[in-house]
Amino acid sequence: MKALILVGGFGTRLRPLTLSVPKPLVDFANKPMILHQIEALKAIGVTEVVLAINYQPEVMLNFLKDFETKLEIKITCSQETEPLGTAGPLALARDKLIDKSGEPFFVLNSDVISEYPLKEMIEFHKSHGGEASIMVTKVDEPSKYGVVVTEESTGKVERFVEKPKLFVGNKINAGIYLLNPSVLDRIQLRPTSIEKEVFPEIAAKGKLYAMVLPGFWMDIGQPRDYITGLRLYLDSLRKKASPKLASGTHIIGNVLVDESAKIGEGCLIGPDVAIGPDCVVEPGVRLSCCTVMRGVRIKKHACISSSIIGWHSTVGQWARVENMTILGEDVHVCDEIYSNGGVVLPHKEIKSSILKPEIVM
Amino acid sequence: MDSVDEKVVAVILVAGPSKGTRFRPLSFNTPEPLFPLAGQPMVHHHISACKKIPNLVQVFLIGYYDEREFALYCSSVSNELKVPVRYLKEDKPHGSAGSLYYFRDRIMEETPSHIFLLNFDVCCNFPLPEMLEAHKAYGGIGTLLVIKVSAESASLFGELVADPTSQEVLHYTEKPETFVSNLINCGIYVFTPNIFSVIHEVYRLREEKAYTRHVPNYESQQFAIRSLPTDFVRLDQDILSPLAGKKQLYTYETTEFWEQIKTPGMSIKCSALYLSRFRSTSPHLLASGDGNRSASVVGDVYVHPSARVHPTAKIGPNVSISANVRIAPGVRLKNCIVLDDVEIMENAVVVNAIVGWKSSLGRWSRVQANGDYDTKLGITILGESVTVEDEVVVINSIVLPNKVLNLSMQEEIIL
Repeated sequence: MKALILVGGFGTRLRPLTLSVPKPLVDFANKPMILHQIEALKAIGVTEVVLAINYQPEVMLNFLKDFETKLEIKITCSQETEPLGTAGPLALARDKLIDKSGEPFFVLNSDVISEYPLKEMIEFHKSHGGEASIMVTKVDEPSKYGVVVTEESTGKVERFVEKPKLFVGNKINAGIYLLNPSVLDRIQLRPTSIEKEVFPEIAAKGKLYAMVLPGFWMDIGQPRDYITGLRLYLDSLRKKASPKLASGTHIIGNVLVDESAKIGEGCLIGPDVAIGPDCVVEPGVRLSCCTVMRGVRIKKHACISSSIIGWHSTVGQWARVENMTILGEDVHVCDEIYSNGGVVLPHKEIKSSILKPEIVM
Repeated sequence: MDSVDEKVVAVILVAGPSKGTRFRPLSFNTPEPLFPLAGQPMVHHHISACKKIPNLVQVFLIGYYDEREFALYCSSVSNELKVPVRYLKEDKPHGSAGSLYYFRDRIMEETPSHIFLLNFDVCCNFPLPEMLEAHKAYGGIGTLLVIKVSAESASLFGELVADPTSQEVLHYTEKPETFVSNLINCGIYVFTPNIFSVIHEVYRLREEKAYTRHVPNYESQQFAIRSLPTDFVRLDQDILSPLAGKKQLYTYETTEFWEQIKTPGMSIKCSALYLSRFRSTSPHLLASGDGNRSASVVGDVYVHPSARVHPTAKIGPNVSISANVRIAPGVRLKNCIVLDDVEIMENAVVVNAIVGWKSSLGRWSRVQANGDYDTKLGITILGESVTVEDEVVVINSIVLPNKVLNLSMQEEIIL
């Protein structure tokens, strides 16, 4: 079985992290974002994954060779020379997605994190016999998105309404699709929107069905949602009683600590924290609602909350970092500094406090 | 003294990416030393000036950027200016004197009698032949280019005190807290090869101190606090300061312009200075036009030959337009730099801004700033491939590459 992951472009919303690596390779819960999806696909028997990209293919390809061997799954890239929207890339990768088996293929949006109940989706798709299945998820503020209006009992999609002013429903497109090869015949090789052009066409013929995504869902394409997404993800690990979650007197709530990370005495870690490989958390440190990426050193007595600390950065002694502070790669916050929402680009040293949210270039 | 065999070598220190963070977002695309001022890469102005030195045989660019970043430029400028220009890559920063010393064998290859050292981020008139003559007359180890500035701004630089008759450097101090002098170091020097022995001596003394470190002294503690590696030797603090008052260092004062390019916004100011200098050195580089067959030009303007500017546009003063730019009818450009492959559509206005490579400005869009070179957002900067949609206004802002602006904004940094 095959799958396509829409990786797309520059990932500008996740800057400064995406100034160092392409977005799919930004770590989430101690693993590159795209690895979560590739592993979920591998688990249900997908043998080949195509990445639709239009930015920094060389960096992606190098990385992928690693995954290919470790996961024993074939990974190829389909490179757009011009942005093709959300449907065009499928046409571009046509030859890779269709084979003689006539099996349907998955399409995933790379910014999405969820439980990936792909096996259930395959069964759903078989049972309704339609041309395409999409996952929808319930949200509190549907008018921020595109709402999918469905027939309650069958899940048949009636229509899509973009950012509705009046309430028409609370389910939105979760960015996970299972499509029959015939869908490709509907997509031309030009910038096309799958939500605005392709799906409405299939829905009009009554052949598009939506399944409500069980479990959590988050679009982690921007820092605030990334932090919320981590909370949801760790929560789902807890529900599964995953052994990956850390435990101990110094741990509160859901915390993920890579086995190569070192945590000192007198620390208090959690809730909702992910500490990456080779990190060093010195004694007396308080961490909550934050992600600490590979190679970071947090010095003694520091306190970090609701922030993302980028690869190989350091946070000084007694520093306080909070309120959506995002440190890019190789950023060094000096001792005793306070950062309130500082967004710091890579390779910088912070020598004076940031009192209110500010971008440091 | 004035023998035909006296060869001169010029060294331009171009530093590396870690220093270049101050030039973001423009430095994401191009190393700062190659950013164009008045239509030519920053260091091009240095190298052109070096060409006027009699018996110049080689130019070296020393830095810790990747070689690839300078390969193309070096080969094209060597060709154009007919002098070998080579990029020498340091494995890590060694400090201004350390870098010079690190490559002493290459620099001394053709046994030059004099070596010019220039910092890439200074913008001035480069009176290099005159400096050389003065240096030969003084007979010291080195001569520094100096300039008088206001007392307030002097503390941003290296201040020195010079003897008014002999021009000898009596005292030198870097960025002092209290006022020492309003004469500052321009970052351009000429040395005799003895400078290498002086630098060597500093290394030797440090090794000695390292050996006898069981006696902690104030200086070795200072070093530890500043956390500089022992092979990092700065020209100003470590070499020149100790030489002051020993009849080895002299000054040559310039009364023409001098600026240090510390921020992207300053490149507009320096572009203006170079453009105005073109009037005397290379008037053919300046554009002209009265709105009939070609666009109206006000003041000093540079337009690359491949750029297309509609006759109804009004350009200047102080505008530099790079290659393949297309300027549509009715556009107004003032005090700005427009980089390669930009498209500016009908009736747009750009004032006090830098428009990054491949960007596109829509019809009736307005990109401007208050023009204050000293504030972070005083010059609007659009990074590479930024699209400003029709009728959108962008004021006093910085926009990182690959963004599409469909809403007006003021005083913002867009990542």
